[in-house]
Amino acid sequence: MAESNVVDILAVFPDLEPTANAIEHLRSLGVHDECMNIISGVPVTEPMLGRPHQWTNVPRIAMGGAILGFLGGAFLSFVVPYLYPYPIQVSSQYPVPGPPTVVVLFELTMLGMLLSTFLGVFLDSYFPNYRPMKYVPEVSDGKYAILVECPHVEEKKITDALKKLGAESVRPAEAQHL
Amino acid sequence: MATLNDLKISEIKLSESEGGKWGMVIDQDICTGCQACVAACAMENNISFVGEVDAGYGRSMHWIRIERFWEGEYPEVKMTPNQPMMCQQCGAAPCEPVCPAFATVHSLAEKVNLQVYNRCVGTRYCANNCPYQVRSFNWRDYERPEPLPNQLNPDVTVRRRGIMEKCTFCIQRIHHAQDQAKAEGREVMDGEFTTACAQVCPANAITFGRMDDPQSLVSQLAKRRGGMKMHEDLGTLPVVTYFKGG
Amino acid sequence: MADHNHHAEHAEAHFREKHLMLDPLPRGQMNDMVMEAMTEKPTWKFWLIFGILAAITAYGLFYSWGVMIAEGLGVAGVNRPSYWGIFLVNTVFWIGISHAGTFISAILRVFKAEFRRPFTRAAELMTTFGLVQAGFSIFMHMGRVWLSYWLMPYPNQRMLWPNFHSPLSWDLLAITTYLLSSTMYLFLPLIPDVAMARDRSTGWRKSFYKVLALGFRGTEGEWAHLRNAMNIFAFAIIPVMFSVHTIVSWDFAVATRPGWSSTIFGPYFIVGALHSGMGAAAIVLAVIQGTMKHMKYFVRAEHFDAIGKLMLIISMAWAYFFFNDYMVQWYGGDSWTDQLLHFHEYGPLGWMWFAMLICNVAVPWLILWNARWRATPWLIATVGIIINVGMWFERYIIIPVSLAINRMPFTWRLYEPGIEIPLGIGTLAFFILLYMAASKLIPLIPVWEVQEGQMAHELKKFGRETVVTVSELE
Repeated sequence: MAESNVVDILAVFPDLEPTANAIEHLRSLGVHDECMNIISGVPVTEPMLGRPHQWTNVPRIAMGGAILGFLGGAFLSFVVPYLYPYPIQVSSQYPVPGPPTVVVLFELTMLGMLLSTFLGVFLDSYFPNYRPMKYVPEVSDGKYAILVECPHVEEKKITDALKKLGAESVRPAEAQHL
Repeated sequence: MATLNDLKISEIKLSESEGGKWGMVIDQDICTGCQACVAACAMENNISFVGEVDAGYGRSMHWIRIERFWEGEYPEVKMTPNQPMMCQQCGAAPCEPVCPAFATVHSLAEKVNLQVYNRCVGTRYCANNCPYQVRSFNWRDYERPEPLPNQLNPDVTVRRRGIMEKCTFCIQRIHHAQDQAKAEGREVMDGEFTTACAQVCPANAITFGRMDDPQSLVSQLAKRRGGMKMHEDLGTLPVVTYFKGG
Repeated sequence: MADHNHHAEHAEAHFREKHLMLDPLPRGQMNDMVMEAMTEKPTWKFWLIFGILAAITAYGLFYSWGVMIAEGLGVAGVNRPSYWGIFLVNTVFWIGISHAGTFISAILRVFKAEFRRPFTRAAELMTTFGLVQAGFSIFMHMGRVWLSYWLMPYPNQRMLWPNFHSPLSWDLLAITTYLLSSTMYLFLPLIPDVAMARDRSTGWRKSFYKVLALGFRGTEGEWAHLRNAMNIFAFAIIPVMFSVHTIVSWDFAVATRPGWSSTIFGPYFIVGALHSGMGAAAIVLAVIQGTMKHMKYFVRAEHFDAIGKLMLIISMAWAYFFFNDYMVQWYGGDSWTDQLLHFHEYGPLGWMWFAMLICNVAVPWLILWNARWRATPWLIATVGIIINVGMWFERYIIIPVSLAINRMPFTWRLYEPGIEIPLGIGTLAFFILLYMAASKLIPLIPVWEVQEGQMAHELKKFGRETVVTVSELE
């Protein structure tokens, strides 16, 4: 079984600098970037920690939503006036009025975009997620945690290295209810 | 399904500016201000009686009203001609596009301005945007004491609270006459029927009929010199022509 | 030399006291302060005010509305020709209040105005709760509110759709978009803070925050998605906000009425919205600082000062737009407009017209130029109240007072409010009630944003002078 060969280690660091150093050192120990994850209470950018760029689908999902919203607006503006069995005439305006159409298209495009941006965060982050997860509450007090996934045989080596690099605590990560 | 070709707005606008289909001529000089038209209209169209408190607060519900003004300072006052005022059935009505529910639309067949009571949600935007202030709103469910319910006109919907209403040019009479003419295989004749207000006017100050028929009495009268449309400068293309000081 | 060092230390202490961003506390301590401010057991005064407001809301908003639905709009003061009354005045007023939240949390975020950090959430709450009241007011206004769903575009058997020629339909789309997006924009930056609250609470609060935090841990991916989304929101919500009040202004501007049909109404209304909104933000900040625990650390004189400057600038912009509108209407020489302008100034409600100018222009200009006065919480909150009164007057003059004059002199009549008064007070009470409840339920200070800002700020010496510098972390 491959899974049982892998363990997760959770190391808590007091500050940004030792966290970045530890990441660098772990990499030199042969831990792949994909096997690490940093948990923090404030947003830190990837360059600060020397980490590869995080891929996010949010802008693409937002764009998709904007297109859907625009199409919805186009339906309301260009199709709906012709769905009536008889043409509906108001004042001397065309069934598809020019300037009001711009308003409808704008509002629905923005609505689609913003709704899907919101939805994108949920999709990309797997929210809502109430299953047990590997976490230390100290991060919301400003600590930084590195979650390392390593082969069972290397657990001791990596634990020792992390301790030497200034980790306040190093322990095997256990999923718990948040 | 309607297509764009069914609806050539420019043509509609042009035909409306020629005077619409149905029209009215009001001679203010012979109007006595007797209010018979107001009463007849209320009877014909099942208009509620709002009572003196609400009426005194500007909530009277009349589809036609006689406006009276005076000139000069007391005691040197002079009455100006009475001015009967009702929906002008504008060809380009400002009330129509602003309704969010399509409750007031233009009738392509009759070229009048329709009010769809059961679609109205009561935003009252149409009334605000009416330059003639001829729309009435049902502020409450007004009581109709006995035996008045027996008098209700079965051809006209009774409106409840929260709904806008206005003069329809007695569209029930228009349809009745058209149905009758159709059954007899002929066209509606000029003078065959008229609106309730025109019918009761003892001075014959109100004339109603086909504007698109150059031979009809109303179009003959409208063509006389000195006629004017109310607030014509707004471009609303009203179909009611007023004469005064003639 | 020693004296010089002493001097520098003194300057540093001075800066720390003055600027929240230069006065960092350990994160844990800051969390404790925000948690304590939120979970502190409400005093009897809190419950008394809460109870009174709840009673006013129950009577003013819900009971009175019920009466009006049952009786019809006759119990209100609307009549011919003032078909629109205080309901729409309040709608415009509350949408105006809501604009401040977006201004502070989106425009100031986009332009990296650092003073915004501690009160973005307080402002966003105003947006969401203000829009709720605007929604109430607009629904109250409808004659048959039970059919209001007819204004939504939904497929139905009779194929009846709303009329998108109507500004009210645009209103519906725009206010819905704005309400949804400002609520989402309130929620996204809240996630890390409720996660923090989840980690440090027990009992029902723990379950509440657990649900609200959605399982947020603060992994790199989660932060990246969140940051991206907040960035998109901050930019995209600005045009949405502009569109909302512009469309509200079009309700009036597209109408064929003297005084209303003005091409400048769009920007004039937006500036008016910001005017009342910033005033309301000043009131809210002063109340938060004065009543909640530890808030003197987060909300300082610098924040009132910054808001005061914005209020002054916006007041000038409002005066500019007002004068622009007035000048063109006055010069036009249209007899109906002339009569309306005369009625505004010398009619029975002329006092309101002059009070509007005093509240919106004279008071802010006379008080807010002074830095010490600007930084005085009670004074700036008072100016905020005065501006809001002035802006309410402005909407009252634009709607029922202007409606009294039209092109048919026979129908001219003044408007006298009826049940609108308890209903309007009800929306105000409900707004404060929601705000009070929220202050006990969600962290009112975006702790992580403050912390992020404190990371970015530092003091730097140029020659003999110590100055504040801020680095761009993103």
